[in-house]
Amino acid sequence: MKLKKESIGYVVVFTFVACAAFVVLLATANEATKNQVKANQSYASHYAVLKAFGLADIATSKADVEPKYTSLVKELPDPAPGMAAYSTVIDGAPFVAVKITNAGLWGPITAILAADPKAERVRGLEILDQQETPGLGGRIGEPWFSAQFSGEKVGTDGKIAVVQGSGKGDPDKENSSVDAVTGASRTSDFVRNLVANALATIQRIGGSL
Amino acid sequence: MSAMSPAKKVFKDGLWTNTPIFVQVLGICSTLAVTNNLRNTLIMVLGVTFATAMGNLTLSLIKDFMPRKVRMIITVLIHSFYVIIIDILLRAYAPAISKQLGPYVGLIITNCILMGRAEAFAMSNKPWLSFLDGLANGLGYGWVLVSLALIREFFGFGSVLGFKVVGENFTPWTIMVMAPSAFFLVALALWAVNTYKAKAEAAKKGAK
Repeated sequence: MKLKKESIGYVVVFTFVACAAFVVLLATANEATKNQVKANQSYASHYAVLKAFGLADIATSKADVEPKYTSLVKELPDPAPGMAAYSTVIDGAPFVAVKITNAGLWGPITAILAADPKAERVRGLEILDQQETPGLGGRIGEPWFSAQFSGEKVGTDGKIAVVQGSGKGDPDKENSSVDAVTGASRTSDFVRNLVANALATIQRIGGSL
Repeated sequence: MSAMSPAKKVFKDGLWTNTPIFVQVLGICSTLAVTNNLRNTLIMVLGVTFATAMGNLTLSLIKDFMPRKVRMIITVLIHSFYVIIIDILLRAYAPAISKQLGPYVGLIITNCILMGRAEAFAMSNKPWLSFLDGLANGLGYGWVLVSLALIREFFGFGSVLGFKVVGENFTPWTIMVMAPSAFFLVALALWAVNTYKAKAEAAKKGAK
């Protein structure tokens, strides 16, 4: 018997079977890698928290991250939905970090910011996730940019300015300002707001610590 | 010319005679988007090559059972399938690259080369040859993108594959990082390649 390929019944059945087959394959692949993806995400997050606290850097081996995180970092109750907070003690001094997601130019920016409980000086900033313009705003993910925040004094208005500078990073830790990325003014504004929000949250948590 | 085997011809077409960027002028959107960085470009090229080759193979295998009415839907379905597989694998086993590429992986689905090759080749050719055609077109797309990325990354960042190759005094050309520079470069390259081809053609005719 020759199948009538253009009959409505055949078209419907063929499309249905084809869709079902490919969807099943995809669902299987997704299910099979789910735990691996979850582990990757939690590793990335733990590593970023350690880096923001200054407890890890690129020299830290992958195997050291989890033990270090469990022994040194304490997870605090979430300060707000979608946020997370962490605390640690370095040389007797307490530090607080928050994971915060704020608006960016093309999509949300997720970062971890660590500071002292009074939010007077930044300990470190780690950009965890961003979709800014590659090559321009996207450069906020590069180490030279976030490194500028380490040890930066917070301004009296609770902010750190992100301004036009040499483009090579601002080494002055007392002027409450860092160099913006050239050609990415909007992204720089978003980063400034994100840092200000994170600092406000840290101050709130730090007060009740 | 007549002595060329079909497989060889498919490769010559994909890489030069009928190359996606310069002759079919397909896949320009991704050319503009990813070529400011060589590493991203290489991954994009691998993704497109894989999806085009496997998509062509699968389509060619099932084309005899496929009603013509739904062939576009099925083509898109198959391409999406391979692209999402790439995305899943990258997320699980290369999270750093997956993060860097972000939305670009999903955008492979909309790459015109995939649909173009499916319609133009896989629908009317044998599976193995279709697979080779996808491979050849992916590579034809690839060498053009890699050359563009080399130029753009060098002038835009002063680096190659992320390694700094110029001194501290080098001022990066910001325009090279942004999409418009790819427009200029693609246009210049199109001009050069087509002029060369026209000259070669004329020389051949003259010789006869």
